[in-house]
Amino acid sequence: MCGIVGILKTASAGSIRNEVETLLPYLDHRGPDAWGSYGAPGIGLGHTRLSIIDPGLGHQPMVSDDSVLVYNGEVYNYLELRDLLRSYGMTFRTDSDTEVVQRALDFWGTEAFRKFNGQFALLYWHKKKKELIIGRDRYGIRPLYYLPEGGDVYFASELQVFDHLGERKRFWSEEDLFDHGLLWNTTGDRTVFKNIRSLEGGHFQVFRPGHCGDSVPYYVLGETYSEDNTSSFEIQKEMLREKLNESVRLRLRSDVPVGCYLSGGIDSSVTSLLAREINNNIFKSFSVSFADPSLDESEYQKLLVDSLGFDHHSLKVSAQDIEENFVEAARHFERPVFRTAPVPLYLLSGLVRQNDVKVVLTGEAADEILFGYDTNKELKLLSLWKEGATDDKVENVLLQLYPHLDHYADSQQIGFLKMYYEGFLKRFEGPLAGLSMRVSNNQVLANMFNRDWNIKFDFDSFEEKIGALLPRQSGNWNLLRKNQYLEMKTLLPGYLLSAQGDRMAMGHSVEGRFPFLDHNLVEWAFALPEASKIGGFNTKHILKESFKERIPSAIVNRPKRPYMAPDLTAFFPSGRKGRLVEEFLNNGIVKDYGLFDSRMIERFIGKIERRGIESAGYRDNMLISFLLSAQIIEQGIRNPQRKKIDKDKMANRILEEV
Amino acid sequence: MSDRDKLMDFICRNFMVEEGEFLLDESLIDQGIIDSFGLLEISTFLKKELGVETAQEDMNRENFGSFEKILAYSSRKREAVYG
Repeated sequence: MCGIVGILKTASAGSIRNEVETLLPYLDHRGPDAWGSYGAPGIGLGHTRLSIIDPGLGHQPMVSDDSVLVYNGEVYNYLELRDLLRSYGMTFRTDSDTEVVQRALDFWGTEAFRKFNGQFALLYWHKKKKELIIGRDRYGIRPLYYLPEGGDVYFASELQVFDHLGERKRFWSEEDLFDHGLLWNTTGDRTVFKNIRSLEGGHFQVFRPGHCGDSVPYYVLGETYSEDNTSSFEIQKEMLREKLNESVRLRLRSDVPVGCYLSGGIDSSVTSLLAREINNNIFKSFSVSFADPSLDESEYQKLLVDSLGFDHHSLKVSAQDIEENFVEAARHFERPVFRTAPVPLYLLSGLVRQNDVKVVLTGEAADEILFGYDTNKELKLLSLWKEGATDDKVENVLLQLYPHLDHYADSQQIGFLKMYYEGFLKRFEGPLAGLSMRVSNNQVLANMFNRDWNIKFDFDSFEEKIGALLPRQSGNWNLLRKNQYLEMKTLLPGYLLSAQGDRMAMGHSVEGRFPFLDHNLVEWAFALPEASKIGGFNTKHILKESFKERIPSAIVNRPKRPYMAPDLTAFFPSGRKGRLVEEFLNNGIVKDYGLFDSRMIERFIGKIERRGIESAGYRDNMLISFLLSAQIIEQGIRNPQRKKIDKDKMANRILEEV
Repeated sequence: MSDRDKLMDFICRNFMVEEGEFLLDESLIDQGIIDSFGLLEISTFLKKELGVETAQEDMNRENFGSFEKILAYSSRKREAVYG
């Protein structure tokens, strides 16, 4: 795992390489082992390396006769691709996946992307054609941004790199920031910053000096879909086990030790179980636990550790830890977030590094591909309701929806809950599917933003905007498939894989790997009948049924609970505003930064202090993280910390004057 | 302060809106001002500040479907209790 930068501009080889090198220190956390740079007239590429495969020879930028490559990530099927390329007469100098990726692109051109199975972002310069191809893995696991400026274009793994190009480059895009607030992600190639674009997952894009091509999809979720109604549930279970096993096996390819994260849920239990079975030398396991028992899952983590015999390391996190580390973590989020839950994962990756582990497997994305989210239950409930289910049935399901939220479990309040969901009966089959609820709840942000921005929310036009982003074939998908597509375009890349995933792990130079995001598995699961994934209201049905004999039953049968960390309690210790609220949400700074309406912020803080944290709702808890993280990011943009080039790390400096 | 003013003040102070920025005869949920927890907050307010206890069978859009409906509901309930 690594960091990459690139510059496409009219300049000499030497000057462009120098400019690239000035940016490398800002990606040191992504790649602390070795740095490299390349300069030729009009193009500069830079790389910071976290050595995982072929540590001795895999230095980058990697140069072949045709091309130069900087690449962040892993293509797990590189051994198979290398054999294939050898059969065409190619020879290889290293054992690295980087060289295979490069030669595949040399040989197949952009067709190569469809052959890769992995997580990556790359910049590939074709020397003869004088064109730069940029590409990103199917689901957007690894980040890639670019900033077109005049005829020049800057590329980087992280947005903060652009803060070191002279005057300020990152300016908030009001509309995109609001979209991000509604969806937990921006749409298409947009970011929360004007002018800065993000290459979408499953896309590549070709740039030539002075010319920026359109991004081209090489993969769309559900592209191989045709409903599988023929195989029995027994066969489906067998196939799930096989596909997951193969995915984990590929993701254990590494020349350095691999560890695993255990959340206490079934997803990471399954990935770590399979990893342990495939390679008995594995492993060290890592978990977050909480001082607050309502958030803590260590009881389940312990069950799994005991059953599999891991060398386990756990980090206990308190509300105070959240407050103390929030600023540092938020600098890595690079976008506002609604939860503090990334912070413990930032601390956990620190613990992973202390234990000499660079790579961890996690259970991310099982909820997307096997319908684990409660939105699936909500959508099923709304469907039943619309079809005329009895009041008793509706109430019964409602009470089971969110057992971790006190008021939802209270049958006294069922009338209010019904009233709430009733409002979505007319929306849930629209373009937003299960996101309707999220969007509706989050529109409160419109009132929090600077009033001069004149942000207004209109549900119908927002639905139209999102509807236009759905792929053509989605017309043949049922509601839950459409919902999965939306989740995999919003929450997954916009939060789980980025602010809570890549950035929190890479913040301490740790690479996460996600067996549930192997595209062979994802596409297969997409075609599974709905009843196999959600049986009645039992989510991830097939996963539980496939592994119930090998995982402690308490884990298989426990109610699902989202991974969360203390929010308001961290920022309002003993009910009064704490240090961060004081520092980042005071009237002066709110007015100065101009992101939010200072009266509304004051009102919000007043409400929490007056009525107490225990009277605050889910939405208040989300709001505090959003407000604080946005303000902290703005402060970071205004005060970029300058860093010097570490010459000792420059392992590879290449200049080509042609 | 009239009940109307008290309710308006409560909604503005707790749900970060201004008077005149939302419709009084449309659902506060549909307008994105509150979520389901917000309904609970309002019923707690009715109980504490206006002395109106919300009966389970009254938790519906008829009584809570807009600012005006909540106001009408609370005055109906008070009349029923205090005559």
